[in-house]
Amino acid sequence: MTVLLQFVYGLRQGPNEPGREWMMGQQIEFALKQSMHRVLVVLVSFLPGLLAFLVAVILFALVGVIIAGVFRRVLTMARFDERLSRGTGTNAPTSLFEGTSNQPPSRLVSRAIFWLCTLVGVAVGISAFGASYSSDSQVPIFLLPYLTHVIGAVLILFAGTVIARFLARSVLIGAVNAQLQYARILSLGIKWLVLVLTAAMALDHLQVGGAIVSLAFGILFGGIVLTLSLAVGLGSRELVSRSIERTMERPSGPSEVANQRAADAQSRSRLRHF
Amino acid sequence: MASPSSIEGFGVPQDVITSERKVQPDGSRRLLLCVPSLPEDRLPGLLADLATVFRRDEVLIASPDLEEPEDAPALPLTVFDGTRVRTDWVLTAGDYLAANELAQRHDAAQVLLLGADVCTLPAVAIREMADRIAAGADLIVPTYSLGAHDGLVASALLYPLTRALFAANIRFPLPMDAGMSRRMVERMASVAQRQTTAQADALVWPVAEAAAAAFNVRQVDCKAPIPPAPAASDFNTLFANVAGGVFADVEAKAPFWQRSRGPAVAAREVPPNQQTESSDLAEEVPGMVEAFRLAHRNLHEIWALALPPQSLLALKKLSIVEPSAFTIAPALWARLVYDFALAFHLRSLNRGHLLGAFTPVYLAWVASTLRTVTDDASASTHREETAAAFEQEKPYLVARWRWPDRFNP
Repeated sequence: MTVLLQFVYGLRQGPNEPGREWMMGQQIEFALKQSMHRVLVVLVSFLPGLLAFLVAVILFALVGVIIAGVFRRVLTMARFDERLSRGTGTNAPTSLFEGTSNQPPSRLVSRAIFWLCTLVGVAVGISAFGASYSSDSQVPIFLLPYLTHVIGAVLILFAGTVIARFLARSVLIGAVNAQLQYARILSLGIKWLVLVLTAAMALDHLQVGGAIVSLAFGILFGGIVLTLSLAVGLGSRELVSRSIERTMERPSGPSEVANQRAADAQSRSRLRHF
Repeated sequence: MASPSSIEGFGVPQDVITSERKVQPDGSRRLLLCVPSLPEDRLPGLLADLATVFRRDEVLIASPDLEEPEDAPALPLTVFDGTRVRTDWVLTAGDYLAANELAQRHDAAQVLLLGADVCTLPAVAIREMADRIAAGADLIVPTYSLGAHDGLVASALLYPLTRALFAANIRFPLPMDAGMSRRMVERMASVAQRQTTAQADALVWPVAEAAAAAFNVRQVDCKAPIPPAPAASDFNTLFANVAGGVFADVEAKAPFWQRSRGPAVAAREVPPNQQTESSDLAEEVPGMVEAFRLAHRNLHEIWALALPPQSLLALKKLSIVEPSAFTIAPALWARLVYDFALAFHLRSLNRGHLLGAFTPVYLAWVASTLRTVTDDASASTHREETAAAFEQEKPYLVARWRWPDRFNP
C-alpha cells in the first residue's frame, strides 16, 4: 500500500518541491491507515456480539426443536387432532389459519412453539449484541433498533396476507352462493383493500416514507372503495330496484298478507332441501 | 367386528307388534316421552291424543313448558330440564343430555324424544315407536312422507353416506324424532357431553352412533310430512351445518367404516304415491345450471385445493354442457362427496370455505336430479341408484383416506 501511494503521489512530484509532496503522501497514507484501523477495531468489537447473537439463536432454536418434539408427542398421545376436529366449528376463529397449511393442528402447534423459541433466541441475541457493543463507539448503531422494526413489519405483512386471503375467499364464496355476477371483483377488491392497508401499516412501522405513505394509502384505499362501490352499485341496480318495488307493493291488509304468505309457502314447498 | 345393524323396513304388520309387546322385559316399563315447547293450547290436545294409545301407568310425559310436575287428567307430566324450544329443528346434544338425566331420575327403560313438529306425528306412530323399543330395538327413527323433490339433502348426502359407510339403511338419519332404549340414551348422552364441551350447537348423529356400537336400529313409517326446516335460517348456513356435521361424523368414525362390512339390508319402501308434479320445477333447471357455471368460473381455484384432477375435469365438462343434457351420474356424485369429505378431514382449506364451495356442487346435483326425476317412482329409483353408487365407490374413499397423495400428481 505504501509503495502504491508513493508511486501515485510520486507522479505528481515536481522537480522543484520534492520534500513538500512527500509530506502530503505521508499524510494521506497516515489518514488511510487510521481509517482502516478504525474499521478493523469496529469489526473486531462487532464479532463477539455477532457470535453471541448466532449462538443465542442456534441454542434457542435447538431448545425449540426439543420442546416442539415433546409437545407434538404429548399432543399425539392425547389425540389432540381428533378432539379438535370434533370440537372445532366450521366458522371458528382457529380455522382462520387452516387455509395456510394442510398440516394437522398438533403439528401447527409444535411449529408455533419452535418459532416462538427461535424468536426469543433472536431477541436474546439482539440484546447480547447491543450489550457487547461499546457505547463510546463512533459508529452509530441505528441498525440495531431498526432490526426489531423489521421483524415487526414482517409479522404485520404475514398476518395481513393471511387475513387478506381468508377474507377474499370468504367474500368470493359468499358472493357466488348469493349468485352475484361480480363475485370475483368483490373478492379482489377486499383482498387488495386489506393488502394495501397492511403495506401501509408495515411501512409506517418501518418509519419509511412518512406522509407520502399516508397520502398514497389514502388515495389507493379510496380508489378501491370507489371502484367497488361503482361495480356493486352498477351490478346491483336491477336488484335494488326490484327490492324497492317489492317494498312499495307490499300487501297492507290482513287478507293480502295471508295470500302473500300462502304464495310464498307454495313456492317454497315446490323444492325442499331438508 | 361389529355385526351390521338390524334394519327393518317400513309398514310393520299388526300381529308382529302384538307379539313384540308380549316380550317386554319385566323390569322398569316406564316410557319417558319428551315433547318440545308447545303453544299453550296445543299441549292438552297432544296429551289427549297420546292418551288414546298409552296407559297412564306406562308413560311419563316430559315438557319444558312446565314449572313443576303435574298429574294431569290424561297422562302424568314432569318437567323437562333441557333447553328445548319450538325453533329447534333437529334434536340437539342438550336434548340427549337432559333426556338421559330424566331417564335416570325416573328409571325409565325407554325414551322417546319428539321434535318440533310433534303435533303432525300420528299417535299410532308414536305408539309403534315405543313398542319397537320395548321389543328390543335400541334406536327407532321415523320415516316421513315425501314428495319427489322433498328431503333432497337426505337423498343426496345423508342417506347414501349412512348406508354406504355405516351399513344402516335408514332413510332419515337427520335426527328429528327418535325412540331410544336406556343404553342408547346413555351412549348418546356421553357423546353429547363430549360434543357440548367442544361445541354447543354440534349435530349428533344417533344412527351412526348406534351402528358403531352394533346396536339395533330400525325405522317406522309414521305417515307424517317431513318437519320443515326453520324459516329464519338461510339455506347456505343450514346446508353448511348439516354437511359439516356429517363430514365430521364420518371423520370421527373412520376406524369403524374403513373395516370391511357388507352392504346394508335393503329397505322395503312404501309404494310411492304420486304427490308431486315435476313439470313446474323443470323450468328452474336452466337457472340452476347457470348458477353452477358462475360457481365454476369463480370457485375453480378453490375446488382445485380440495378435488383431484379427475373430479375437476368432470366438473369442467359439466360446466359446458347444455341445460337439457345437464346430468351428474350417481358415481360421479359419490366421488365428489367423498372428495369433499376427505378434504374436510385433511383440512385442505378452511372448513367453512370448503363447505361453502361444496354448496354449488350440491345445487348442481339438485339441478341434475330435477331433470332426471319426474315423479315419485323415478325419485325412489334415483335415490336407490345414488345410494348404490355410494356403496360401490366406497373403496375409492377408503383408498384416498389412507393414501390421499396417490391421487394428486
